[in-house]
Amino acid sequence: MATEEEEVAAEVEALQAVYGDDCLVLDSYPPHLHLHIMPRTADVTSEQFVEAVIAIRASSQYPKEPPQIELIDSKGLDDERKKLLMTCIRDKAVELSSCLMLVALCEEAVDKLSQMNHPDGDCPLCLYPLVQEDEQKKILRFMKLMSCFHCFHCECIIRWWDWLQTEQKSNPIDSLSSTVHSVRTNEKKKDGGAEDSIGNCPVCRKVFHTKDFEHVLDLVGSLPFQLSSAENEMEDSEKLRHSHQENIRRQRFEATFKLQQENCGLIEPKKEVRVLPGMFLPLPVTPPTSAETEESHEQQQEGDPPVASEMHTGASSQMPNTTEHRNRGMRKQRAQHNSRRPGKRWVRRENGSA
Amino acid sequence: MTSSSAPSRKALSKIACNRLQKEMVEWQVNPPAGFKHKVTDNLQRWVIEVSGAPGTLYANEIYQLQVDFPEHYPMEAPQVIFLPPAPLHPHIYSNGHICLDILYDSWSPAMTVSSVCISILSMLSSSTVKQRPADNDRYVKNCRNGRSPKETRWWFHDDKV
Repeated sequence: MATEEEEVAAEVEALQAVYGDDCLVLDSYPPHLHLHIMPRTADVTSEQFVEAVIAIRASSQYPKEPPQIELIDSKGLDDERKKLLMTCIRDKAVELSSCLMLVALCEEAVDKLSQMNHPDGDCPLCLYPLVQEDEQKKILRFMKLMSCFHCFHCECIIRWWDWLQTEQKSNPIDSLSSTVHSVRTNEKKKDGGAEDSIGNCPVCRKVFHTKDFEHVLDLVGSLPFQLSSAENEMEDSEKLRHSHQENIRRQRFEATFKLQQENCGLIEPKKEVRVLPGMFLPLPVTPPTSAETEESHEQQQEGDPPVASEMHTGASSQMPNTTEHRNRGMRKQRAQHNSRRPGKRWVRRENGSA
Repeated sequence: MTSSSAPSRKALSKIACNRLQKEMVEWQVNPPAGFKHKVTDNLQRWVIEVSGAPGTLYANEIYQLQVDFPEHYPMEAPQVIFLPPAPLHPHIYSNGHICLDILYDSWSPAMTVSSVCISILSMLSSSTVKQRPADNDRYVKNCRNGRSPKETRWWFHDDKV
C-alpha cells in the first residue's frame, strides 16, 4: 500500500517537473491538481488561439479507478471543442485504467489541444470566416488579442485600430461624438502611467494593450496593404512588388546589404553613385545611421522590399514602400514613446510634490 | 420626413458595403425574433418592423425602426431612430430618438443591426411605464432642424430600463 502511495507521489512530482508553474497541486495524495494547458506552438504566443485549465482529481482508489477530469476555464474554445477535449481525455483515462496515468493524461490533453489550435467562426468585424481564401486564393491573415483570445482578421482589427487613432486626433475630448474608446485612451495618456493601453476588445470590451498588438504590427509590414487603404491600392502595391523596377531595386538593395555584411554592418553609400551630375538628390541624403542599418537588416530578413535603395533611384521611389514606412514610423513612434516615459514620470512626480 | 432624412448621405465605403451585404444575408437566414426587414434596394437605409414582445407593455404593437448607415460603418455606429409614431417609453423621445448607449458612446464594430435590434426590443420589454422622457419637450425642440441623435451628447444614467 505504502509503495503505491509513493509511486503516485513520484508521479505528481514528475508532473510538476514537466509542467512547472502550469501545474498547481492542490493535494498530493490522493492527487488533485489544476493544469494550465497550452497548444504546442514552440512558445510562439501569437500562434496560440486556445488555452484551457483542467482539473484532475483522483480518489484513494487511483489508479484502479480513473480520476475525475473537469474543464475549469478556457479561452478561444467553442462548446463543441470543449466537449471533444474532455471526451478525449476521459476516454484516455478509461483506456489506461489501473495504470499510473497522470502524465499520459496531461500529454493527451496537450496533444488534443494542439490539434484544436485554430480560431473558429467569423471575424467579428467583417463577419466573413476568419480562415478563408480571398479572390487571389490567398488566406487572409488573422490575429488574436493576447488578453482575451478574440480573433480578427489582421486587416480588420488594424483598420479599426487606425480608425480609433484618427478619431482620437480629430475629436478632442469635448467633441460631441467622442467615443468611449477614445475618451479612455486619452485619459490614460494624460495620467502618463498607462500610455500603452490602446483600446477595448470590440467583442468583450476587455482593455487591451500595445503588447496585444505588437505581433500584428510586425505583420503589417509583410501585408500587401496600407493602413486604412482602399482595395485598389492593395492591388497596386502587389503589382509593384513584382514589377521590373522593383526587382532592380531589390537587387540593388541586396548588393548594399552584401557590402554591409562585408564591412561589419557599416556602410557608406558609394560616392560615385550619389553625385552623378544632373541627378536629383532629395536633400538631406542622410548617411545611414546605425539604427537605420539595423532596420534595413531586419527588413531584409523579412524578405521585404528595400527602403535603403531609395537614395539610388532618387525621386521616383516613394510608393512601393509605403507599408514599410508606416511600419517603421510606428516602431519609431513606439520607441519615442518609451524614451519619453521616464521624462513624463519625472514631470508627474514634480507636480505631485509641488 | 424631417429629422429622419438628415444624416450626411455619403455613399457607403466598399468595406461598409461588404459588411452590410453580409449582414443582410445573415438576417434573411436568421432574422431576430420579433423583427421584419422591409425589403428595399437601399442598402444604406433599412426600415425594420418591430413587434412588441408578448407579455410586455408593448405587446401587439408594431413600430418601425429606421437604420441609416454612415460611410464608415461599422467603425461608426448606425443612426437608429423610430419612425413616427415612436413608442411611449422613458428613453424614447417623441421625435423617435432613442437614448441607448450602444448607439452612441458604447458602439462597437462587433455589433450588428441584429444585435442592436435585440437591445432595443429588450429596452422596450423591460419598461414598466409608458411615458416620455422627462426632458422630452426641451430635447425635441432642440432637435428641430433635423439634427441627428448622433450629434446629441447623451447622458446614460438609468440602467434599469
